[in-house]
Amino acid sequence: MTSSSGNVLEISDVAVHFPIRSGVLGTAVGTVKAVNGVSLTIGHGETVALVGESGCGKSTLSNTIVGLQQPVAGSVRVAGDEVVGADRRRLNAIRRNVQMIFQDPALSLDPRATVGATVGEPLKVRGIASGRQLREKVGALLSQVGLRPEHAERYPHQFSGGQRQRIVIARALALEPGLVICDEPVSALDVSVRAQILNLLVDLQRRTGVSYLFVSHDLSVVRHICDRVVVMYLGRFVEIAERETFFANPHHPYTRALMSAVPEADPVVQRAKKRTVLSGELPSPANIPSGCAFHTRCPLATEICSNVRPELTPRDDGALVACHNA
Amino acid sequence: MTRAAVHPANEPLLRVDGLTIDIGGASVVDGVSFAVQPGEVMALVGESGCGKSLTSFAMLGLLPNAATRKTGRIMLGDTDLAALSGRALRRMRGKEISIIFQEPSASLDPLTTVGFQIAEAYRQHEGASRTAAFGKARDMLEAVGIPDPDRRLHQYPFELSGGMCQRIMIAIALICGPRVLVADEPTTALDVTIQAQILDVMKRLVAERGTSIVLITHDMGVVADIADHVAVMYAGRIAEIAPVHALFSDAAHPYTALLLASVPRLDVPAKAELATIEGMVPSPEEFGEGCRFADRCPLVSDRCRKEQPPLAERAAGHFSACWHMDQVGELRKAAA
Repeated sequence: MTSSSGNVLEISDVAVHFPIRSGVLGTAVGTVKAVNGVSLTIGHGETVALVGESGCGKSTLSNTIVGLQQPVAGSVRVAGDEVVGADRRRLNAIRRNVQMIFQDPALSLDPRATVGATVGEPLKVRGIASGRQLREKVGALLSQVGLRPEHAERYPHQFSGGQRQRIVIARALALEPGLVICDEPVSALDVSVRAQILNLLVDLQRRTGVSYLFVSHDLSVVRHICDRVVVMYLGRFVEIAERETFFANPHHPYTRALMSAVPEADPVVQRAKKRTVLSGELPSPANIPSGCAFHTRCPLATEICSNVRPELTPRDDGALVACHNA
Repeated sequence: MTRAAVHPANEPLLRVDGLTIDIGGASVVDGVSFAVQPGEVMALVGESGCGKSLTSFAMLGLLPNAATRKTGRIMLGDTDLAALSGRALRRMRGKEISIIFQEPSASLDPLTTVGFQIAEAYRQHEGASRTAAFGKARDMLEAVGIPDPDRRLHQYPFELSGGMCQRIMIAIALICGPRVLVADEPTTALDVTIQAQILDVMKRLVAERGTSIVLITHDMGVVADIADHVAVMYAGRIAEIAPVHALFSDAAHPYTALLLASVPRLDVPAKAELATIEGMVPSPEEFGEGCRFADRCPLVSDRCRKEQPPLAERAAGHFSACWHMDQVGELRKAAA
């Protein structure tokens, strides 16, 4: 099922808040505003990277998209179907279209289930395939991710980290979803294996037309794989731009700081680089600064920044930027 | 005798010489040798299981029980750290050579204040009074760039962020002014903006105090940022040692060349195929007679499978353990 607009994902004004409870009665004494009104669409076959530091709300947002987390406001549509407020049966149907891959494949796989059982489970529980047909389908999925059909008989501990991530990818693709949310899928892997998995994700996209929401803190990985980049800071998007524009001409001071902080694997470039090292640390999402949440660390901050929150506004090159001074 | 007399300018401060470490009969670190000059950053680079962490643990006598040092010396000045007894080692650790780890929250005691933990090392080694040690701890907090040190001294690790905790670890490691700091993936668990801050602190300390750093990392970006010399390790052996600029511009081992090519870069088009290294790192049971990279190497020949290539000097200070190091230049061009 596809929506009339042809987008695999449409989220609008999504906010996710968590109460801070204290005392024996667990009364709410405050609110963590993990996600604070964000909107985004992802088209077919598109890869959107969601970038930000720990605590910016990127994982909370991905959990909300698959219905693991209920937002306090907003709407999430996967291929046109509303996730927010959907009952279990609806959610079950929707999740066929949206799957997730996590950082550590060792934690995503059942150590006591064979690879075949793990990869085949989604097909089995939905009654899509069984018996010989199931085995053939699992074999095909394993081949697709660069493993061999006979690997279905083995257990996760018999594989390396990179191979385990391939198994997780095979399982995510079993139901031919329109969207796969990749939450730091290569962060736990070694450099040479990381390259193999990135190549695989790109190759699978070419073959199946799947869309990715690629959640990562690593800009060098992001710039390799994405079509569009979204930068998140304390629960809000601060910049959205096409890949080329984004890396050639970052607007938001936070984006620039993030980019200059990524060490380039070239000593000549890296040591000549003019860096904006951000002072201080990410403020607590339970106590978000007034106005622009970034103003406490921003090199461009002026008076207006602490009073008025900047909205995302389009720039000449098409980028959307939330900043008064950039 | 002054320190300068013991270490003339060209004498290395730390020399690891033929270090071999066995686990269950397999040499997981095999004949590793390198030297660190005073005030320089020496990076040990490699992927999981290459032996870089075991090498660093051996320097402080922290090898796990399953691992034994078979041969090799670890000379810090005139002292062989590998030959020291537990008590003598204890006097060296923290005073002459210190270590910081990847996960600062796992290294700090959650039940005592950070001020106490920083002062503790100083009281132990220098016999300083509580007050004097706390004064020194406060100075260290300033030196590692922690704002409001008087308040922070009395806080517990859970009250501080990951980046702050890593600064605390650095303060503990350096309070007694050691000559060598071993840093085992010190920024891997941190966000990039915090990583940049911590690397800056480390660079400043090297410049101000002349502390040598042995940096264990898998991140070529971090190496490019901070290292003076680099040793690339593969399956327990050193594949290549070079000054940092030579390593990046003129890699002389196929493993280094392919590793560098597999790092995503800004100047390649989106979704272009990244260079990869076929296959996997061999497990210790699979170690053969010859070069341990042979099975994955595009330049492999019969000789590679039979004879282990020695570390041979290719240019001044630039060593590679490869029979075909002359062909690596072409491989590099093909992979780029």
